[in-house]
Amino acid sequence: MAEEHHKRPVKMPQLNIKIIRLIAAFVVLVLLILRIHNVALESQLGASTWLRLSVSGLIIGGMYALIAIGYTLVYGILFMINFAHGEVMMIGSFGGYFVFEAFNAIPVTLHDGTQISFLNAQPVIAILLAFLIGMGIAALTGYFLEKIAYRPLRGAPRLVPLISAIGASIFLQNAGQLLFGPQRRQYINPVIIDRGLGWQIPIAGTKVLLTYSGIFSLVLSATLMVALYLLVQRTKLGRAMRAVAQDKRTAALMGINVDKIISQTFVISGALAGSAGVMWGIHNGLTNYFVGFLPGIKAFTAAVLGGIGNIPGAMIGGLFLGIVESIGPAALGIDFQLQDVIAFSILILVLILRPSGILGEALTEEKV
Amino acid sequence: MNNLHIQKSAKNGLVFAVIIIFLALIGFTVTAASMIQKVFGVEVSVGTMPKYSALIAFLAFIGLWNGWRAAKQTEEHPLQAGHAILAGLASGFVTGLFALGYSLIVGTLQSNGVNVRVYLSSLSPESIIYFLFGQSPLSGGFIQLSLSTVSAAFGALLVIFWDRSQHQFLIWKQKLSAWGNASWPAKLRRNVFVGYIAMGVVLLLLVILPRTWGSYWNYVMGTVGIYVLLGIGLNIIVGYSGQLVLGYVAFFAIGAYSFALVTAPEPHNLNWNFWIAILVAVVASAISGVLIGLPILRLRGDYLAIVTLGFGEIIRILIKSDLLKEITLGPRGIRNIAGPTLFGKSFSSDSDFMYLIILAVLLSIFLARRWQESRIGRAWLAISQDETVAQATGVDTYKYKLLALAIGAAFAGLGGAIFASRNQFTGPEDHVLMVSINVLCLVIVGGMGSIPGVILGAFALKGLPEILRELESYRLLVFGALLVLMMIVRPEGLWPATRPKYEENSPPPVTVEGGSR
Repeated sequence: MAEEHHKRPVKMPQLNIKIIRLIAAFVVLVLLILRIHNVALESQLGASTWLRLSVSGLIIGGMYALIAIGYTLVYGILFMINFAHGEVMMIGSFGGYFVFEAFNAIPVTLHDGTQISFLNAQPVIAILLAFLIGMGIAALTGYFLEKIAYRPLRGAPRLVPLISAIGASIFLQNAGQLLFGPQRRQYINPVIIDRGLGWQIPIAGTKVLLTYSGIFSLVLSATLMVALYLLVQRTKLGRAMRAVAQDKRTAALMGINVDKIISQTFVISGALAGSAGVMWGIHNGLTNYFVGFLPGIKAFTAAVLGGIGNIPGAMIGGLFLGIVESIGPAALGIDFQLQDVIAFSILILVLILRPSGILGEALTEEKV
Repeated sequence: MNNLHIQKSAKNGLVFAVIIIFLALIGFTVTAASMIQKVFGVEVSVGTMPKYSALIAFLAFIGLWNGWRAAKQTEEHPLQAGHAILAGLASGFVTGLFALGYSLIVGTLQSNGVNVRVYLSSLSPESIIYFLFGQSPLSGGFIQLSLSTVSAAFGALLVIFWDRSQHQFLIWKQKLSAWGNASWPAKLRRNVFVGYIAMGVVLLLLVILPRTWGSYWNYVMGTVGIYVLLGIGLNIIVGYSGQLVLGYVAFFAIGAYSFALVTAPEPHNLNWNFWIAILVAVVASAISGVLIGLPILRLRGDYLAIVTLGFGEIIRILIKSDLLKEITLGPRGIRNIAGPTLFGKSFSSDSDFMYLIILAVLLSIFLARRWQESRIGRAWLAISQDETVAQATGVDTYKYKLLALAIGAAFAGLGGAIFASRNQFTGPEDHVLMVSINVLCLVIVGGMGSIPGVILGAFALKGLPEILRELESYRLLVFGALLVLMMIVRPEGLWPATRPKYEENSPPPVTVEGGSR
């Protein structure tokens, strides 16, 4: 979503900041490479471990990417961080959970007399329905979120919608806790996307397990990303969305119903977050009211990393963050407890050193 | 009354249906009913449900509100009684239908032996029976339907009454204000000494109360006081200088931990004097504020919010991690933190801590007001209004933003140190994101940039839930809804800030380095 900006005349102090940023980025990079080099020399981890970590990072990264697209779409149009986006994902995750639970409770008798649950008798229907309902509920949440918490604040100072978004996030999180309880709930997968079974791939003497749930999540997230890209680039709705992102007033003059497009953007980003939520449940096996918080912030990091407002950037940022977070603790030789610190540090470093992200165009100060 | 009106009323009814079903699902109906019963002086014994009359009162209240809103929506001048009541009835009927449907579903599931609680954890069998008034699902649902319809009609009647009597109210209001301007209230208001006397009475109360009202109130009010302190600190950052910081808890944690580490016997056994340790905590927090602020204060708005949130989380994770275990004792936390001492005597009773907190709050209010009215405060005001313009008029925005962050952080450090000392314990779970959110909430609900607002916000958001224990589990839910609601209805807060007017009495300011507007 390219955004036209009036260029500011470059002043001397800004040039200095750029140089300082460049030097700082260089120093950070050198230190990181040195550290990784040292650790890699000492470490006993074989190629198979690295591959396993990268693949699991890629799978999680796909989910981050789906959530990050939601942030980017909304930011591209409204210039606000949809703080409650992670909670939308949580709600989607619960939608899928309940579908699986319901199907698991229905017994089916096969021809040879064995009894299995409907979940395993018709796994395709179950999975399809889980995603449809998860995405549907999340999309509805997104729609009403925009309608209730953001639409009345159109045109208010920028702090106002952000605070409203924080409020909506707290509300949804605690509504989730009060409705579904604080305990963790175990996702029951159909056997064809089991978390424990998968393909064994022989690498350097050992075998790496690619779980069915992981492969499924990766393929599905890639498909959804391609579908979204086509939607934004090829369809009438996508064109309208891009137009609104570029200039709301002119878009309205061209006959686009801006409010409707904004609503639809929230529906689309909610559906994507919902699908990520169901995938999260399928792949990690757990869901609870807090499940959206960390992925939400990390996906925001991914969106910033790729350049906020930029859809391919969000995808690349998500995959990149997933991989870095997964192999980071091993590569840097730090405790896995500190995994979350890596994502936050990347966020801070990117915002300080290159606020426009990897693929982002230079942002004016208004946007940063 | 045409189709459009009916549609509007039905929509209104739908909204209230969602509200009622949501409240029932999270178990709030039972809580509200037991609170209503308590107000009338009948305690709810443990393990039983409150009386049905309390539930009826609660549902009728929502029904009245429903009818009120539906009748207001007709937007007729003058209001036609028939239309209003019809709108109320329609809206109440729609809500009631949904309540009936909900009762049927939940009641049938219940009577077929499905344990709904496995999935919806607030929905105990007793609360379902309670919601159905102890009847079968169908008749319970019909009671809901009729209750909702009738109360909504009464709500519409209220609107009609209000509409008819508005003229009379206006006359009363005018009479009251005329009396207030002419008689003794006006004289009191004009007298300078009244302010001083009021202040004196407040001070006297602050001296007397901690000795007399017992340890429970000292604990509750002490918590409120610490949050006032934090609120005033965050108010400097968010309210005065306009920088949204979501990781305020980081400074709170740094204050608490640096205080704890130099006073506690474990892990370092330094046992420093209380007052020196407080100073250390404040300075450490301020320095951390500067250090964190240096790289990130060039960011604006939402980016700053999320980066500071990241910092807050990083600090909590670090404290908890094995990496710093030798320094911070990890997830176990630090125990036996020292209380205040003066001339070798220990002052660590509840009332002593209350006095300490009161002193700290008074000091912080004094400092915050002095800063607000100084050149620094004007610079902050300019930055919060429009940063680019402030920069263009010669305000060193970076410096003043850094100063605001450092001062706010110092207040948080003081609060953290007192908090740790009062609890004699601090651990990573004291420093979760929710502390930041709580403080932000009270600043915003009270009124950004307003010190009375912060005090009011702290009492409302921290004191009330402490007193109304039943509401504890709904506290954060209400906070979230309140933040959204405040932003839509009253973004300036309950007690908005009044800006000091420089323009009126002083001559036009000469442009110098600094922040004159």
